[in-house]
Order: sequence, then C-alpha cells, then structure tokens
Amino acid sequence: MKKQFLIACITLLSFTAIPFISQAQTAEKQAIIKVSGEVSTPLTIDAAFLQKFTQTTVTRKDRDGKDHTYSGVILSEILKNAGVTLGPELKGENLTKYLLVEAGDGYQVIFALAELDKSFTDRTIILADQVDGKPLAPGDGPYRIIVQDEKKPARCIKQVTAMQVHFVK
Amino acid sequence: MHNRTKLYLSLKKLPRGKGCVMFILLAFIIILSGWSYINNTIETGAYNFVYPANFGNRIQIPADNPTTKQGVYLGRMLFYETKLSANNTLSCSSCHEQRKAFTDGRAFSPGVDHVLTSRNSMSLVNLLWGRKFFWDGRATGLEEQASTPLTNPHEMGQSLEASAKKLSQTPAYPALFKLVYGDEDINGNRITKAIAQFERTLISANSRYDQYLRKAYQLTADELKGMELFNNAPQPDKGIRGANCAHCHGGVKTYMELFHNNGLDSIPKDAGIGALTGLAADRGRFKVPTLRNITLTAPYMHDGRFKTLDEVVDHYSEHIQESASLSAFLRGESNEPGGQSLKLLPREKKQIIAFLNMLTDSAFINNPDFTDPHLLTTKTKQH
Repeated sequence: MKKQFLIACITLLSFTAIPFISQAQTAEKQAIIKVSGEVSTPLTIDAAFLQKFTQTTVTRKDRDGKDHTYSGVILSEILKNAGVTLGPELKGENLTKYLLVEAGDGYQVIFALAELDKSFTDRTIILADQVDGKPLAPGDGPYRIIVQDEKKPARCIKQVTAMQVHFVK
Repeated sequence: MHNRTKLYLSLKKLPRGKGCVMFILLAFIIILSGWSYINNTIETGAYNFVYPANFGNRIQIPADNPTTKQGVYLGRMLFYETKLSANNTLSCSSCHEQRKAFTDGRAFSPGVDHVLTSRNSMSLVNLLWGRKFFWDGRATGLEEQASTPLTNPHEMGQSLEASAKKLSQTPAYPALFKLVYGDEDINGNRITKAIAQFERTLISANSRYDQYLRKAYQLTADELKGMELFNNAPQPDKGIRGANCAHCHGGVKTYMELFHNNGLDSIPKDAGIGALTGLAADRGRFKVPTLRNITLTAPYMHDGRFKTLDEVVDHYSEHIQESASLSAFLRGESNEPGGQSLKLLPREKKQIIAFLNMLTDSAFINNPDFTDPHLLTTKTKQH
C-alpha cells in the first residue's frame, strides 16, 4: 500500500515537474516587435524580417559622450511595409496620426508620422539592431530606435517590443 | 446578516403564540425601515473624480464601465464582502486593509485553503491611472484583474458564478445590482465591474509631498536633501550625489508604470514577466510599484523580502545582484568615481527615508468613503 502511494506520489511529482524542465530546455524565445493599429498589414518584426530591407547607418553620441554608429532600417520603410499612410498619403487628417513605441520595461514614446517621413524631414530615424558593427547590448536591444541629431536620447527607446499607429482622438 | 442571526436566536427563546407573531412583525418593520433608509441614502448619478491637475488626465475608464456613485457604492460593498470567498471568511479587504494603504503587512497572504499567495499583496492607490496590473502587469484592466483573486483557489477560491448565486440569495444585493445595472441580474462581469469602479476612487493626493508641491508645506532640511537624492542621478565627476530613485519612481504620482529587474537575485526564483514572455531580458522583471504610503506597506518587493525601508535603501545602495537581465541603469551607478554600487552615506539613507515618509497620506487611509460599508449598515439597522 505504502509502495503504491509512493509510486503515485513520484508520478504526480514528475508530471508537475515536466513543464518546468521542458520550459528550461526549450531555447529562449527571440524578441519580436509587433506593428499594429492604423496599418493595413500588421507585422511581426524579427531579425530575418529586418534583413529584407536596405541597411542604413546613423551616428550619434550615447550617454558615454562618444560617437557610435548604429545600423538598422529606416523606420518609415518598415511602416510603409505595414501600409501606414506615409509619403503622398501623409496629408489631411492623416497628419493627426502618431507612432507609439513601447519597450519591454513599459516605457513609451511617440513620434508624429510627419517626423518619420522623408518628404517632411531629412532627419533619419532608424530601428537599429547593431552598434559599431556588433549586435546591441542585451540591455539596449535587440532593437532600439535611434533618432539622428536629437539632443536628448530619451526617444532613442531601447528594447523595443511594440509599435502602434494611432489617430489622435 | 449578522443582525438577522441574532434575531433568529432570540426568536427561539420566545414562547410561541401571539407574542411571537408580534415580535416577527416588529422585526420586519425594523429591518424594512432600516433597509429603505439605506436604499434612500445611496447617492446615484455619474461619479466625479477629484484629483490634482498635475496628476494628468491619462485616466483609464473602459467605455463599458462608466463610473457611477451607485456603482462605486456597490463595489465598496463587494470589496468588503466575505460571501465572495469559498468559506465566507475572506474579502478583498483581507489582503488590502485601508489602514495599511490597502496592503496586509505580510510577505505572502493566506487564502481560503490556507496556502500562501506566491507574491506580495500590492497596495491599491491611484489605480485610475493604471494600465497594467499585478506584479507582472499581465492584467490590462482593473475589471480583468479583480477576477483573479476572487477565483484563485489559494486566494478567495470561489467561481464568479458561485459568488453571483450567493449574492442573489441575499436580501440586499439584488436591489443594489438593479440600482447600478438596471435589472437584478447578478453575474461575474457585473461583480468585477463594480469592484473596479470602487477601486478607481482610491485616490491618494494629500500627502505632505502633495502639500509641498502645492506650496502648502515647507520641507525640513533632511526632507529637502532626501528629495534631491531621490531625484538626482549620481555624477561623482561633477560632485552631484544621488540615488536616482526618480528614474523609475518619478513624477508627482511616484509611479510610472515601468517594469524592471532591480537586482534582487542573480538567479531569480520567480522569473516575473520572464515566465510570461519566455524572453531572457524579462527574467526577474517586475512592476516598479508606487511609493505612495510606502512607510505603511511593508514588507517590500514582490516577495516581501525586505521588512524595512532601511533594508530597501541598503539593497539599492550596496546589494544589487548582477545578472544578464539586470536593468542597465542600475549597473555601475555610483557616488564614488569608478564605483560599482551607489554607496550612499548612512546620513543620506536617512534623508531619503525622511523624504519617503512624506508620501504617507493620512487623509487617504482614514477616508470614510473607503471604509467597510457593512459596518455602517449594521449600525443603521440597530437604530
């Protein structure tokens, strides 16, 4: 009787332990960015997706006061891929749209669509995945927005996890 | 309900006959008049939130759950309602006591089955501005949040259906639900909506810090120094000392809805958000809670590991544990050139705590609008 009980206990325990073990064994998930909101095609951005685009570099100072060269994809190119109203369509009420970028720590910043559009500005804003030829540090990446020439780094948001396009209500 | 049990007991002792009939009639009159009195005193109409302009208007009220005075009253009744637990012993207020700024003073809280919760009971304050709830932010609204402690077998342990049924069998609740929702139907959705309405009214905006911000309070020297240390990032090369608390606890609400790994462990027992996302960067990542009423909400952290604020400040000053997912801004911040930890002086730690003491809002913890309304109804019935 005792033996049966013991076996039952062990079986039960192993059942409860299996999910934990398998969780530990499965390779860590890769970070992605979800693009949603006022888009015609919602996107899920990962490393392979970014490789499909032309790579652009932007140099700016980081908190260490030194220049760093970031490389990645121009944000508006990604948004065009999602069917966001940029270029000729960025007029009228579409000028009241903004991009909300969210990070893994809950931090959020916004850009007006016009800030991202080449026909409005030459300032380049990229979604970077590399700095000085190397992948971004874990605390910064894998994806970070880099805003060319912006004095404060507050909108160079790190660990980007989501981008949503919305109308101002 | 308590009252009725008493009546029933006294009935048993009475001789049967005319006296008994008279007594029952009398009891009915007392209960009915008491009930109609309460019913008449429940205010109805849209609820008007009052808060300082500097709190901002990024408030979160779902379109399908507008806040009404009667809804808030029902929510308050439910918040203190033990019938919502499997053994009628626990209510929301068991783990969220007003006098402790809606916490319970324990690291983990026992549920109906006496099993402890896996995380520390969170303080309920200024939830009107909250977008993500729980230590891992997994609930995106108060309505969604409320159903978890109600139904979790290690918390109140009762299905929403069972709760709805129990409330339907009471004399008071069907009428209250009708007052709020237009008909007497009681269901889980309506229960959590009302609780969320009450929770949105738990606004703390009258601490000494608030008074200071509206220029109605003068800081002591220690409080001023503490506030500076709280707000400044350390820059030893420029001679600026700081603890940089405001990086995550900044703003007038001392809450920014951020989620960080604050270096409690190199290998966390509880992975926090990491358990939800499976991302290495989220391992040991938890909500950065509000510091409102922080002196009343010990013990601290998601697992209640620190009993005092001294221990908390010591942690940030000297005991941050390195790991790959440690939030970057906590790494290598120091008041000493080339230092690896904050290295606050003992006096500075006391000054920071003097500032934290300013966040206690006694008007909030004594606000009669947040107390147990069942105590009031019992009193009225006895009159």
